[in-house]
Amino acid sequence: MLRILIFILAAVLAPTAFGQVTIKIGVVGPMAFTIGKHHRAGAEMARDEINAAGGIHVGGRRMQIELVVADTNELQSIPDATNAVERVITRDRVDFLVGGFRSDSVLAMQEVAMDGKKIFIGAGASTDKLGQNVEEKYERYKYWFRITPSKNSDLGRQLAESFTMVAGQIRKDLKKEIPKVAILAEKAAWTEGLIAAAQGRLLPALKMAVVGVWQPSDRATDVTAELAAIERANADIVFTLLSGPVGITVGRQMGERNMKAVAFGINVEAQKDEFWKAAAGKANFVATLDTYGEGGEMTPRTLPFVKAFRTRFKETPTYNAGTYDAVYLLKEAIEKAGTIDAERLVPTIEKLSFIGTSAVIEFDKRHDPVWGLGKLTGVAVQWQDGQKVVFWPPQVKGARPFKLP
Amino acid sequence: MRQTLTFWLRRAWVNLRGEVLVLPSRTLVLAWTASLLLLPLVYPDPYVLRVLALTCLFAIFAASWDLLGGYAGQINFGHSLFFGVGAYGSSVLCLRLGLSPWLTVFIGAGLAALSGVASAFICLRLRGSYLSLATLAFPLILTGLLFAFPDFSGGELGISGIASLAASRTANYYICACAMLVVVFGLAALADSKFGLVLHAIRDDEIAVRASGLNTTRYKLAAFAISGAAAGLAGALFAHLLRVAGPSTLELALSFQVVIWGVFGGLATIYGPVAAVFILYPLTEWLGSFRQFGELRLLIFALVVLVVLLAMPRGLAPWVRDKIEMVCARCKQRNIAWRTSCRLCGAPAGPRVDGVAPAAAAQSPR
Amino acid sequence: MIADIFVTGLVNSGVYALLALGFALVFGVARIVNVAHTALYMLAAYLFYWLLVKLELNAFLAGILAVAGIVALALVCYRLVIEPVRAHDSAVLIATIALALIFQELMLLSFGGSFLGIPSAVQGVMHVFGVTVPYQRLVILFVAALALAATWYVLHHTRIGLAVRATANGMEIAELMGINVRRTAMTVAGLSAGLAAVAGVAVAPVTVVSPLMWLAPLVTILAIVVLGGLGSIRGAILGAFIIGYVEAITVFALPQGSYLKGAVALTIMVAVLLIRPEGLLGVAFEDER
Repeated sequence: MLRILIFILAAVLAPTAFGQVTIKIGVVGPMAFTIGKHHRAGAEMARDEINAAGGIHVGGRRMQIELVVADTNELQSIPDATNAVERVITRDRVDFLVGGFRSDSVLAMQEVAMDGKKIFIGAGASTDKLGQNVEEKYERYKYWFRITPSKNSDLGRQLAESFTMVAGQIRKDLKKEIPKVAILAEKAAWTEGLIAAAQGRLLPALKMAVVGVWQPSDRATDVTAELAAIERANADIVFTLLSGPVGITVGRQMGERNMKAVAFGINVEAQKDEFWKAAAGKANFVATLDTYGEGGEMTPRTLPFVKAFRTRFKETPTYNAGTYDAVYLLKEAIEKAGTIDAERLVPTIEKLSFIGTSAVIEFDKRHDPVWGLGKLTGVAVQWQDGQKVVFWPPQVKGARPFKLP
Repeated sequence: MRQTLTFWLRRAWVNLRGEVLVLPSRTLVLAWTASLLLLPLVYPDPYVLRVLALTCLFAIFAASWDLLGGYAGQINFGHSLFFGVGAYGSSVLCLRLGLSPWLTVFIGAGLAALSGVASAFICLRLRGSYLSLATLAFPLILTGLLFAFPDFSGGELGISGIASLAASRTANYYICACAMLVVVFGLAALADSKFGLVLHAIRDDEIAVRASGLNTTRYKLAAFAISGAAAGLAGALFAHLLRVAGPSTLELALSFQVVIWGVFGGLATIYGPVAAVFILYPLTEWLGSFRQFGELRLLIFALVVLVVLLAMPRGLAPWVRDKIEMVCARCKQRNIAWRTSCRLCGAPAGPRVDGVAPAAAAQSPR
Repeated sequence: MIADIFVTGLVNSGVYALLALGFALVFGVARIVNVAHTALYMLAAYLFYWLLVKLELNAFLAGILAVAGIVALALVCYRLVIEPVRAHDSAVLIATIALALIFQELMLLSFGGSFLGIPSAVQGVMHVFGVTVPYQRLVILFVAALALAATWYVLHHTRIGLAVRATANGMEIAELMGINVRRTAMTVAGLSAGLAAVAGVAVAPVTVVSPLMWLAPLVTILAIVVLGGLGSIRGAILGAFIIGYVEAITVFALPQGSYLKGAVALTIMVAVLLIRPEGLLGVAFEDER
């Protein structure tokens, strides 16, 4: 009788003796949209692969990954996003957080995560301020890391490098000494610095003339006025800085007007699979900075990842699927440090050199990924007949040449 | 000394029994106040406290709208203007000038009151739908201005890194809850006073009020200012709770949301919209936490509003109140519905007079 | 640039006139601020997309079916949701807001949050006065003119149009004169929805379709109708042209300020209201007792 009781007692208490059985990772994003769906997809793929291979080694044990998916609804409401983060931290008791997208919302989410002292790996917001917080108040914000995308100021460098190549090609093909550039940037805080840098430094250095700056709203559904003026100014390149649906409008209307100028720059909508159809098949030759492109192989893990993602989810991954990298990064850091304790993991992550699916990730003192060839550069892609091909950096395997209309 | 204490305690008890506990609606308010204040002692879950703190702030927002919309009859479609001005005002002052947040929330509320007066000036000669649609424009125009000066306002990113009022979740919760109780009770008292009566008269027939010799302009300006100040306070507290303040505090969806809360709760009741917020906001939050149908939260919210509105077109609070209370035919005071005689004048209850309070008189069909 | 402004302004105004007219009709007759008006426009765009792209019907048939579908939906909604609470103004208002939100969420759930593009019925561009104008925009202009003409004809040369105008002028008197106000209100609801649907079908190919596409036009339409004078049909058309041209001028004249076009339109509305509180052609309502 006593033996049975002791046995039952032991069985009941055993799980508590072992403590936690799974590592909980919270995936936070706007789940009703592609962004959140990819946040979730990337994380799920990583979880399934890691769990199938036995889980993560922590100290002497192996622990499985458990995902807690929360819809932040951040595109429609910032308080909802902070509530979601609070919920996964206090109710679901996650150990780590990955995801986020809308910059102003992630700033608020960051506060909640830092209050809870949880490591939060961003996979979507690009504002510099997130990293700035880490630099200015390290003790509070040190739990924040950003795995993708490159921060806004690095975008400038990415643009500079890729533009140099585009400029050279335009000069050669059009036999023009000084190509004309029209800047078409949405009215937003993130474009201000880039416009100033382009006008003041980049374009003069590349010996290109700026014929004008046009700033539609990020949700503009008609850019006829801007394009008409750009045509009249005989621009050869339309330098785009667009993150909203205006990117679709620009691509489509440029195609419909059979404009001779080529669009290059940042066009977030053009990074998505649906862009071609959304622009009704008219957006040929639209080029933009991106994270993944057709056939481009930035690291040995790129192609297997893209292939597996496509097979499972029937879409091409966008940079939000960088949660895949985030989960693998956590695995590497945990196994190296032998613990899931945030305090001890932070210095480990800071010193990691992690081979991701789109780049080699190392963190600077703002916990942003370091930008540079061989590390994280991003790619530049161009839509050619319905396919989004990589044309820069030319060193990337699978890169194809840039085409003009 | 001890005698005075027992005297006051006994008096409080008599008041409680005689004034508050005799009416279900007042008892309900008392129970709600008590549970709000005692909750953290019983169940200090940070998530619940956060959601309730936000609920309290939105309740202030909705109550302030009701003062303007329900009592003064100025249905404001751009109420988020005050919210945003309060939020931005407080955060800019706090961050750029380094003032203490305890000071800047009140300055923010003051700025919102000023914007209320400005709106009132523009809307003085406007009536009805013209007024509503003009007010719709104000927060949108302000958003455009903020985008035009991104160095000052942070553009579409807004202002971040704002100091919070208190360190712990519980302390923040108490600040929001106490602010809400003070503001809501204050607005209710104001609405029941002579001021509120005049506002109501203005809503029903402004020309008659002017003919009676009252300066309606001043009353309207005051209504806008007070409503603006309360909404601005809510906005400022919101900014310090979330620690960010951006153009989302001025968005159209927020203006629509408060109109829904106001009408759903019941125009001209102050407690109605507060109840609406306390029911609807945690409900949508709870719905959003489900993984399977979290995306349906807005749809379910709109359906609930629609269905309930079909059943209770005058709003939730008047419908509930009419079910549990009735007005005495002789002395016009409220009683519990199932009494046989009035508690004050003893008149027999007789056939039920549908408890229509004078303040919530029928909407005039136009 | 003048030619650009002229042509662009014309096309914009045509679309706005379609939407504003429907809105003004409903307000004039039933005194309802129909917040869901542009949501119907959005639904028409989605229905058109579905019929055209998923069911691969031809553009003309898809357009007709889309308009018919939306009109039917509007009538059903009016009957089920608006009529029961007709007596309470604020309840009607909230009902329209709730309906708009429901439509938005249903589209979000059915089609996802991504942006959709509808292929133009007529491809290609033509050059007029040195301005490049895609044919689809001319189609829009043509359709808008046709719809406006048809509405004018219905309003002024049919019995039901007479009933509509009479009810708009004075509801109680019209009822006394024997006009079935209830049926007239339903007719107007259907007509208004039809105009919004026509706008949706015509404009969808040149714009980006998304579940949130109804908010921006709503604000512009409200500005137009208020500017022109609530309840005045001519005022709505006039307002549409004013705002259409103001927006065209803003984007052409201020290349760095084209994001401001919405705010400029609203500022003009507020300015006009300050000078003339009833709008340009509006009628000052007597406070009906």
